[in-house]
Amino acid sequence: MSAASNARPAQQALASRVIRALAGPLFAVALSFVIGGLLVLALGRNPLDVYGVLLTGAFSGWPNLSVTLQMMTPLLFTGLAVAIAFRSGIWNIGGEGQMLMGALCAGIVGYAAPLPDILMLPACILAALIGGAAWAAIPAVLRVFLGVNELVICLMLNPIALLLTGYISARVLKAPGPTNKLPDVLDSARLANFTLYSQLNTGIFIALGCCFLLAVFNVATVRGFEWKLIGLNARFANYGGVRIRANVIAIMLVSGAIAGLAGAEQVLGVYGAYYDNFSPGYGFDGIAVAMLANSNPIGVILSSFLFGALNSGSSVLQMQLGVSKYLVQVLQFLVVLILAAQFTFSWRGRRRVLAAASPAVSVPTENRAATEV
Amino acid sequence: MLSDIAFSSIRIATPLIFAALGGLYTFQAGILNIALDGFMIVGAFAAVSAAYATGSLTVGILAGVISSIALAAVLALFNLRFRAHIFIAGIAVTFLAYGLTALLLKSVLGQDGVFASPDIPVFPPIRIPLLADAPVLGPLLSGHTLLVYFAYLAVPCVWWTLYRTRWGLRVRMIGEAEDAALSAGVPVERIKFETMVISGLFCGLAGAYLSLGYVSLFARQMNDERGLIALAAIFFAKGRPFATTAVALLFGVATALAVRLPEVTGAAPQLLQMIPYVVTVLALVVVGWRAKRAGGQVGWRFET
Repeated sequence: MSAASNARPAQQALASRVIRALAGPLFAVALSFVIGGLLVLALGRNPLDVYGVLLTGAFSGWPNLSVTLQMMTPLLFTGLAVAIAFRSGIWNIGGEGQMLMGALCAGIVGYAAPLPDILMLPACILAALIGGAAWAAIPAVLRVFLGVNELVICLMLNPIALLLTGYISARVLKAPGPTNKLPDVLDSARLANFTLYSQLNTGIFIALGCCFLLAVFNVATVRGFEWKLIGLNARFANYGGVRIRANVIAIMLVSGAIAGLAGAEQVLGVYGAYYDNFSPGYGFDGIAVAMLANSNPIGVILSSFLFGALNSGSSVLQMQLGVSKYLVQVLQFLVVLILAAQFTFSWRGRRRVLAAASPAVSVPTENRAATEV
Repeated sequence: MLSDIAFSSIRIATPLIFAALGGLYTFQAGILNIALDGFMIVGAFAAVSAAYATGSLTVGILAGVISSIALAAVLALFNLRFRAHIFIAGIAVTFLAYGLTALLLKSVLGQDGVFASPDIPVFPPIRIPLLADAPVLGPLLSGHTLLVYFAYLAVPCVWWTLYRTRWGLRVRMIGEAEDAALSAGVPVERIKFETMVISGLFCGLAGAYLSLGYVSLFARQMNDERGLIALAAIFFAKGRPFATTAVALLFGVATALAVRLPEVTGAAPQLLQMIPYVVTVLALVVVGWRAKRAGGQVGWRFET
């Protein structure tokens, strides 16, 4: 009797926390769909039709659903990579470049390493981790030791990575044939596909595993708490004995390594070789995913599922109704724009701040970045 | 060959210079505006579709500039009023612009990747009377289109507004010490908004030049990260108008070479295209190194 009455408030508290955590993202998604609907209406289409096709294109039947899950997988990795850094107030927007470097390393090891079959896959994944982390180490080291703005460096390193991988796949290690790609990876290095309908592969389990691992790490370890503290208030964290420099470098390395895994999944699972310019911008979509997830690893699963569904539904939309698939890109980045804003509105008589990025906003250098470098 | 490359460098650098001039206003006001690419693509799309619909270049340029300014105003609204982080809002606006122009390209102009038509009006090349007959400079400087001359002539005007007017002094004051400017009674928000609008204006011109002057078509993501190269030029030259223009011109030469050199020598174009970004990273490293050597305030300095 008394146990039941004790459990109820606890449950209610948990439920209200979950509702509060979901309110902002759901509001942003709903608002962006309303704006997108008006846009569709202005283009002379019926928004309900468009959203209907988008929905059925993403979910109806296993073939469509498996494409959604395939589209979701790289976003899980890149979203998680960005989320780790955002949570600590570090703006790692270099996910695109880190992913490309990870993909390249996995692609090279995958076809060239003379290893026993059983070691091929671990070696490729390790190579991708190292490639991504190494590319993330550049902005991290420059930030920590020279005070150079990591945003600008990341921004410049993205095209450098694209051009560098383009150079290597078109000139240095090019496979024979007309396309700019590396030779196919060995079969022993492939991530297994388990459906005929899409390129969905076992990489999704690695991605989900990373999300759960980091969710536990965030709430159950001292280091996870320290990383959160750096995001909330780096100065205070430093005063409390957290070694900022070492931790920031560690955060960036982990973030880059996970972004590198996204590349490994694409190369070893989807394409089977490193293709030049294979990414339609997964690294940048990862920013949207992390924003919507409010940098929570479990939230990354939900938001990358939504964005994966939108991406897979958009191809069906383009085929069936002739509406450009880029409608989905508009929706996704409307969500980011709305979430980035801190609307203040009164709710139940109290002024509340709907701050998606509130833990991250307290970086001491924000908005002054231009003058600092 | 050489004068050919020089001539096309001037052309190629034009959108870079426009975008860099726009970006350096916000840079000087302490705003890291990375949405230059987004402003540009919207300007390019509006310019080409308006010019195609009306057959008038003036209407096209106006449409490009106005829509680019509108997008800049949205970014300024979210950054200044709604306190969105400039970087996140900037990325969102850029990709929103990419998505929106691709969507409209399909829905309004009915094309999937590229829209081109003989009905798009083209700029006539301008022959400068006396200069055209000069031996070396003649073929180099004469025969460009209107917007090219406009870009280069805008540079001293930009310098004048920033360094010889009260408004410009305030912009630079905000960039150097925003709190001091605020306590001195400078309307910080309003001036920041104005710099953002000017960014939109110049990027609109850059976009209009891309789709109406440089080529006569619109393609998805046709700006090809020129905004990023412009940003690199701004960072490299610390936002000073003449230096920024010179660097943008150099980056234009690198891009022109990236197009022409592989045809002749078989060099890889990627390595040449990489130059602006690599040079900027190196420049930032040198700046950081010097600041550290001088013992100045660097980033987080509270841990030793």
